[in-house]
Amino acid sequence: MKYAKKLMSLTMGVALGMGVLAGCAAKPAETSKPADEPKAVAETPAEAPEKTNEPVTLKIYAQYSDDDTKIPYDYAVQELAKAYPNVKLELDIQAQDDGQKLQTYAATGNLPDIFQVGLSQIETFKKSGNIMVLNDAAQKSGFIDKVHEGSKVNLYNEDGNIYAFPYAGNELVVWYYNKELFEKYNVEVPKTYDELLEAVKVFKENDVIPMSVFAKEGWITTALYDAIAVRYDAGGIDKLDKGQGKASDEAYTSAAKKLNELVKAGLLPDGVTNLNYDQAAALFYEGKAAMFLNGQWEIEASTQKLGDKADWMYYPAADEASYEASKTVWAGGGAPGGYAVNPNSPNKELAAEVAAFISEKYCEAKYKLRSNPMLALKVDASITPEKPFSPMMERLAKEIPNITSTTKFAWGLSNQPLKKSIEEQTQFLCTPQYTAEEFIQEIDKVIDRTNK
Amino acid sequence: MKKIKIGDLIFKSFLWIYAMISLYPLIWMVFYSFKNNEEIFVSNPFGFPTVLRVENYIKAWTQYNVPKYFINSLIVAVATVILTVSCALLFSYATSRMKWKGSEIARIYMALGMFIPVQAVLIPVAKIVKELHLMGHYSSLILPYTALNLSFATLVFYGFFKGIPVELEEAACIDGANIYQAFFRIIVPVVKPAIATLVIFTFLTAWNEFLLANVLIIDAKLRTLPLGVLFFQGQFTTDWGAMGATMVIASIPTVLVYTLFSEQVEKALTVGGAVKG
Amino acid sequence: MKKFFSDKVAITVFTLPALLIFTVMIFIPILQVFWNSFFEWDGLSEGLFIGIDNYIRLFDDKAFYIANKNGFIFAAIITVLQIVLATFFAIAVANSKIKGRRFFRIAYFIPVVLSVTVVCQLWLSIYNADTGLLNKFFEAIGSDYRQNWLSDRNKAIMAIAVVNAWQWMGYVFALILAGIKSIPNSYYEAAQIDGASDFKAHTKITIPLLAETYKFCLILSVTGGIKAFTEMFIMTGGGPGNSTYTLTYLMYTSAFKSGEFGYGLAAATVLVLECLIAIIVINKLFKQDAQMN
Repeated sequence: MKYAKKLMSLTMGVALGMGVLAGCAAKPAETSKPADEPKAVAETPAEAPEKTNEPVTLKIYAQYSDDDTKIPYDYAVQELAKAYPNVKLELDIQAQDDGQKLQTYAATGNLPDIFQVGLSQIETFKKSGNIMVLNDAAQKSGFIDKVHEGSKVNLYNEDGNIYAFPYAGNELVVWYYNKELFEKYNVEVPKTYDELLEAVKVFKENDVIPMSVFAKEGWITTALYDAIAVRYDAGGIDKLDKGQGKASDEAYTSAAKKLNELVKAGLLPDGVTNLNYDQAAALFYEGKAAMFLNGQWEIEASTQKLGDKADWMYYPAADEASYEASKTVWAGGGAPGGYAVNPNSPNKELAAEVAAFISEKYCEAKYKLRSNPMLALKVDASITPEKPFSPMMERLAKEIPNITSTTKFAWGLSNQPLKKSIEEQTQFLCTPQYTAEEFIQEIDKVIDRTNK
Repeated sequence: MKKIKIGDLIFKSFLWIYAMISLYPLIWMVFYSFKNNEEIFVSNPFGFPTVLRVENYIKAWTQYNVPKYFINSLIVAVATVILTVSCALLFSYATSRMKWKGSEIARIYMALGMFIPVQAVLIPVAKIVKELHLMGHYSSLILPYTALNLSFATLVFYGFFKGIPVELEEAACIDGANIYQAFFRIIVPVVKPAIATLVIFTFLTAWNEFLLANVLIIDAKLRTLPLGVLFFQGQFTTDWGAMGATMVIASIPTVLVYTLFSEQVEKALTVGGAVKG
Repeated sequence: MKKFFSDKVAITVFTLPALLIFTVMIFIPILQVFWNSFFEWDGLSEGLFIGIDNYIRLFDDKAFYIANKNGFIFAAIITVLQIVLATFFAIAVANSKIKGRRFFRIAYFIPVVLSVTVVCQLWLSIYNADTGLLNKFFEAIGSDYRQNWLSDRNKAIMAIAVVNAWQWMGYVFALILAGIKSIPNSYYEAAQIDGASDFKAHTKITIPLLAETYKFCLILSVTGGIKAFTEMFIMTGGGPGNSTYTLTYLMYTSAFKSGEFGYGLAAATVLVLECLIAIIVINKLFKQDAQMN
């Protein structure tokens, strides 16, 4: 008995000791600023950031898994070796883990010097002082001047600060279709939902999948819903994010009902919520699916696989008048994100410089080697794409100056609980078993809670 | 008589069919590792690859330092096995055969580890590892892995210890052995089958672990094999063929360890049974 | 002899290493999970103490009920499938009259050896609505029982449970086989002399003698079901919608996708409590059973 007590008190002692050591995360941190004030650490430009030739190794956390991420990274590293021969990068590859790794790094003070972030991480990291404000660095390096006018949304956070150097531009949700299949079955490119429903019927009769979507991922089902929602309200999901609208508003209800109706009519293939990008894209490339939804970055791959058979269309609308009127309204759009810097890095000044440099080189690489003009920065006129832009891209580029409004991709939503919920709920709407009523109820519950 | 034969036939074919179904993923995985995305998802998900795409293996082999990752995995897994099995053996012996108040509580306390999802304790564990200054050492993985496996291991040993007759220790006691001698010379040999089983189980979990390895390894030199998939799994697309090759490379040792050790288990089991019978 | 078994120094020496590692690496984190479930917290900055608000919200969350229902279905399916199949195969392989026992023993365990990712990818192909083996099979036998296995809000959880049961059956099989092997042959010989059939011998000898092993397997399956995660993560992403959520999944998405750590940890706390209750109930059941025998 005595022994057991001793043992218990010993383990408890260890437990308590460790508790203090590890520090319950909810306890106030050493600084006690008012809770509202963002704790993002401002720069201290005093210390001379003069370039020395001492070799420095910077840790960098970045995506590096396919051509679209490996090619720009490798290009940037090559250029960096020329411009900063003393700087070496140690790459830590980004995991597809919903930010677990970065969050744990931040919680344990192990953040790399430079890391790629999206909006949701910027929001959490700025509250806890884990991301550096880059306003001065952006000014000094001339980064700000290179940003496209239309890409300011990618640069500035809503609070007016710069937390990351962006490279992606104002990207769009594009509704692709296979011209050959439409011609073969005598289907007009649909302008209205009634025409779309008719097209669905014809394709289904001929064993063609009307539309392929990689609905395993919530962001694309959100984009599909948004492409319909913007035809009822130009604000799309962005308005819901800002708390200016509710799913029970007429526009959003109509969009949910329309999507559900289309799904029930057979717009999407069987088991769609289990298709990943590679599967869904293959259906489109092989002529098994007549339409496909993705960002504009898909243009390159679709052109490669389908040649001039592939094209894009304006999203259909409720009637022809609103179809014509809303041609300049697009789903998708830019949001802050890109390369951020750890404010606690011993080399933060240098890291900020390097981060800006890398983002710039990403743009160059994407333009030059990937023929992608949708970038945050203006690319030097001396650089030309290795492959000319495809006709689809040419057509899209002509639209861009006329665009009157865009919304957001799911990753650009600042209300995280809403983002999670709308990704799930729109995916659910892509199955015929779900109803618009359930959708509206769940979304509004989140909106009500988060806007309290 | 005929009835029995038919029953027997069904019984035997069921055994064989199920065995085939169990072995198929092994073959499937190897096929998979020689295909590209198109073949994997659309044209040929199950059959022999139309073209042997050796480049998947070249990609896997050149993207990251396979031998280094391999050695790291081996060190971490072996150390975890040794630590887990020895701690669990001692602990279970004390809770199953020795008489003391609180042994029941200690046992349930230990079982708690089986209930908690790793994702929930990811950050607290990382913080503790950091506070103990283990970051950047193999022990940053070995200790958490051991702790996670202890719950399961102690429960398995407990069951085995409960089944051993008390007479074994009584005899030892009469011969004048102390508890340590009795434990190491008499009890440990008797539970060899359980030890062999747990060596396999623990090795497998430690070898395949991804979640903690993903967040706890901050030093590139310590990366383990499961992290190899990071090189092929993108935000939008994944190079599934190269991932298959990575998985084949990572699975070979586990299949080997299993086939080798299961022989040992088998032998140990027969011996163990003989002792008892 | 009594002194022998209650040697306090020995007890300390035996239990301390395990208790120490476990307490530091797992128990303290669990305490933190519990503590932080009373906070509104994003995982990094200071939390705001909100009492039991997270728990109140939990009981008003549809996803919480879906998660609990799924945990129950999942646990039930894997428990039944694993224990029945494993017992059957273990008895068969333990029988020295069966040819190819060594081969069977290795084969049945192979799915355990493979990583979950491989197994899930395989079953994703099998369940595929269009090219999958399962639907092809139903087509071939002329049945129109084609299904969107993983896109169906009611069936998806069962389809996933089968995958888990299939992969980990080998685990339970190995445990039961080890148990059977440790039963002295003399018991069976005695039964044979009494004229008992093989089947009867097993129901009267094997299964009762392995009560401790079965208890353990039951705990393993039930808690494994309640806290299932990886299969959903790879195969359905919790979908369609949230219809394949489990409590772990709810915890995961709340913490890492919505940035609501406190809420996620409340779900994790409920999960731990449910598992504790399950283990206590199972212990009670087996004790009663033992008394009745």
